[in-house]
Amino acid sequence: MKILSFTFILSLLVVFSYGQKEPQKKIKPKRTDNYIRMKGIRLGTDITRPFQNLWTKGNRYGSEFSADMELWPNLFPVFESGIDIMKIKTDYIDYKSSGSYSRIGIDYNFLPAENKNDKNIFFAGIRYGFVLAKQQVNSYKIDSYWGPITGGFGNQNYFAHWAEFLVGIKGEILHNIYLGWTIRGKIKLNNKDIGMPPTYFIPGYGKAEKGFNADITYSVYYNLPWDFRKSIGGKKTSTENTNKKPTSIKK
Amino acid sequence: MKQTIYLILILIAAVACKEVYEAPPQALLRATLLNSTTGGTTTPTVSVRGIGIESYLVKDSILSVLNLPLSANNESGFLITFGTIRDTITFTYKDSLKYASMETGFYNEYKLRHIDFSKNRIDSILITDSLVTQTLHENIKLYIHP
Repeated sequence: MKILSFTFILSLLVVFSYGQKEPQKKIKPKRTDNYIRMKGIRLGTDITRPFQNLWTKGNRYGSEFSADMELWPNLFPVFESGIDIMKIKTDYIDYKSSGSYSRIGIDYNFLPAENKNDKNIFFAGIRYGFVLAKQQVNSYKIDSYWGPITGGFGNQNYFAHWAEFLVGIKGEILHNIYLGWTIRGKIKLNNKDIGMPPTYFIPGYGKAEKGFNADITYSVYYNLPWDFRKSIGGKKTSTENTNKKPTSIKK
Repeated sequence: MKQTIYLILILIAAVACKEVYEAPPQALLRATLLNSTTGGTTTPTVSVRGIGIESYLVKDSILSVLNLPLSANNESGFLITFGTIRDTITFTYKDSLKYASMETGFYNEYKLRHIDFSKNRIDSILITDSLVTQTLHENIKLYIHP
């Protein structure tokens, strides 16, 4: 018994001594690509939006455009806007929802650039999305032994907003032309009760009854090769030169 | 290559399956048939049709429960034949439209207010739950003479 307790205490000591080992400091290597590699504004369109009805229930379609630029090294403020329409027509219901949504946010690139011409990025980002939308149940039918019951509802307008977390890639396939995909997780922030019937679909978000929606986008982009920094810098230089001229005349 | 073909086939199957829509649910009034003397369940031969409707809901069937659909007019009358003896029951209620989903549609639920009935074979009726919902459950006990 003594041997057993001695062994137990000894093993505890070993564990504690191991636990008290001085923690090694993790040194995070600093990024060497702290420069802006993509000059100008990148405009894009999501080529999957018109074909959403292939993987969603109901006839859903729309279009989406985006604009982003590398304002600071590896940081890309983004603006996205689009329209989204959902139609369901069955024997029992004729429903339509539509709206124009927008998202603002920022992407951070994790992929270190191999050189100044390497513009491919792997990024994570956040978005705030909002929409003003409307829905209408044009008609509904309830089958009954006593004969069908029919009815309809007028237009219902509503506002909704949500947050998005996303990861994706953008790769330059040709000079200034990019292709990329994103995987998005959307969290509903608020959607007011609009009475009967409740909101079924939120354009840009998806089904309103779900607190979380996942989505995937695949976009093509064109980088407008306009270096706004250079033009601002150029203007400053030209103004400075104009101011200097009279001095030289005096001489 | 095979994996790609399988993936395409799965996607086609998923797309082909996506447009399946269910019919909206239905709220039915459930009546349990009981022997007025013993209080136990009874199974008479029953025929049921709505007043003003030609088609029968139930025709010469041996049953211990009846599931009755109600109309949207706040009143529904039924002709119920137990063997050869006929009775009428009229339910008065308040109906309310309910939303199932945009994929299935809408349905009505009912709140029973009053029941009128003839007393040929029916002895009495007891309302056990006045709310007729899409979840099928006993709403009335229908006591009939043996």
